[in-house]
Amino acid sequence: MRRRALIAAGLVAGLALALPAAAAAHGLVGKQDLPIPRWLFAWGAAGVLIVSFVALATLWPTPRLQELRERVVWRVPAARALEILCGAIGVFAFAVVVYAGLAGSQSPQENLAPTFIYYVFWVGIPFLSFLIGDVFRLFNPWRAIAVAAAWLAARVGGRDALSEPLPYPRALGRWPAAIGIFLFAWVELVYVDRDDPSTLAIMALAYAAVQLVGMSLYGIRPWLRNADPFGVTFSLLARLSPLHWRDGRLAVRRPLAGVVALDPRPGTVALVCVMIGTTSFDGFSMGTVWNDVAPDVQQVLMDIGFGAEVALQIAFTLGLLVMVLLVSALYRLGVEGMRTVGEAHSAQELARAFAHTLVPIALAYLVAHYFSALTYQAQAMAYLISDPLGDGSNLFGTASATIDYGWISANAIWYVQVGALIVGHVCGLILAHDRALALYRDHRAATRSQYWMLVVMVGFTSLGLWLLSAASQ
Amino acid sequence: MTAPVFAHIGHWWTSILYVAPVVVVVVWLGLQSWRAKRRDPEKR
Repeated sequence: MRRRALIAAGLVAGLALALPAAAAAHGLVGKQDLPIPRWLFAWGAAGVLIVSFVALATLWPTPRLQELRERVVWRVPAARALEILCGAIGVFAFAVVVYAGLAGSQSPQENLAPTFIYYVFWVGIPFLSFLIGDVFRLFNPWRAIAVAAAWLAARVGGRDALSEPLPYPRALGRWPAAIGIFLFAWVELVYVDRDDPSTLAIMALAYAAVQLVGMSLYGIRPWLRNADPFGVTFSLLARLSPLHWRDGRLAVRRPLAGVVALDPRPGTVALVCVMIGTTSFDGFSMGTVWNDVAPDVQQVLMDIGFGAEVALQIAFTLGLLVMVLLVSALYRLGVEGMRTVGEAHSAQELARAFAHTLVPIALAYLVAHYFSALTYQAQAMAYLISDPLGDGSNLFGTASATIDYGWISANAIWYVQVGALIVGHVCGLILAHDRALALYRDHRAATRSQYWMLVVMVGFTSLGLWLLSAASQ
Repeated sequence: MTAPVFAHIGHWWTSILYVAPVVVVVVWLGLQSWRAKRRDPEKR
């Protein structure tokens, strides 16, 4: 088993060696003037991880995070009214984005829909979720519509008007969310019409329809907790926040404690691997060698009989899949390594038990990869909100606002990105160490089991920094 | 298909430096396993 783990480690390292330099598609960065070469940051980050690992092994002998303790610090006044208001705002924003996409200018820069969906929604909400908790749940438009419909049906037809929802299939778990996020990433990174406002608006309507049908079949809560791709993803990231909003109360908890309580139902590992893998491919797909290889793959597909555009999309789809599989393989390496310790834990049991350790890494990748895009592109909302259709209107007097690319230096962006990656992976190590202490019979076995998670964490850190570095060249 | 990769080695050779920390940790783990095996032959 140990030999198998070593061979797997060699294969993953070899594969990483074969990977080319890459740039980030959405990472907008200027010229940096760093005091040391970028690769040295990867070495430094690995050093921080190794020191953290040793410190955990010696200074953290018993589990400390396994028990979730929360303290209510604020009872929100008029919580129900606030929930209704937030839901209404969410529905209004959704309607504006869809209307802008369908009725507005079809130029992606002039229309509100692409910027809102790709930057404010997909990048901004994860940042907010980590900082202030699961705010998306309050503003979730399809949840608000479903709750309103259920309330209305109960008022009109009485309590018996709605039949009991079907039991949500346990085996399905979070797989619908994982598949949904993969499909969204496919649209964002592969689909040729990804920036087309009307196409995006139609897809948003289709997404909402699927959510409403799902909630009507399986119930609002079970569906949202398992199968709403964005809802599940954002709530997963919100578990890292020390703030927890529930039932009209705001509770605080230890940092990282929320994610420890994650129920590792089927599809959870897949969801996190999809999050990390698709973010990585966003950078990788702009790299030199991918851009050398992709046309060749496209040519092969064209020789089979596909058109040029379809062939290129198939090539990118394959690349996206390979990156997700590579991330999954790296995690699997850590799991197989843990099995060498000798205790009778199955690979599936370990994979699920340590799934939550990937969540801070997913967030770290997201911050590192999209921080610059968010800082710049979110500014575009200043003029888009005044002219959402791109027809020359000036609703709030900010239509002439511009993006200030100078408000933060390229070096500052780099340090934030590197810092996010290091902190995210140290958090991953802490979570893995604490879970190992709870799972293994003694402290020594727990530490030994984590040797391989250290490889995984150093691997993810190096991969993340390498992607960032290439983006900055 | 792989020819362009090597033809442009100047563009990406520094990428290898990013793998070095992973290789160092893997080698260190291999050494640890080897030493543990030598100390206790009963161990797998």
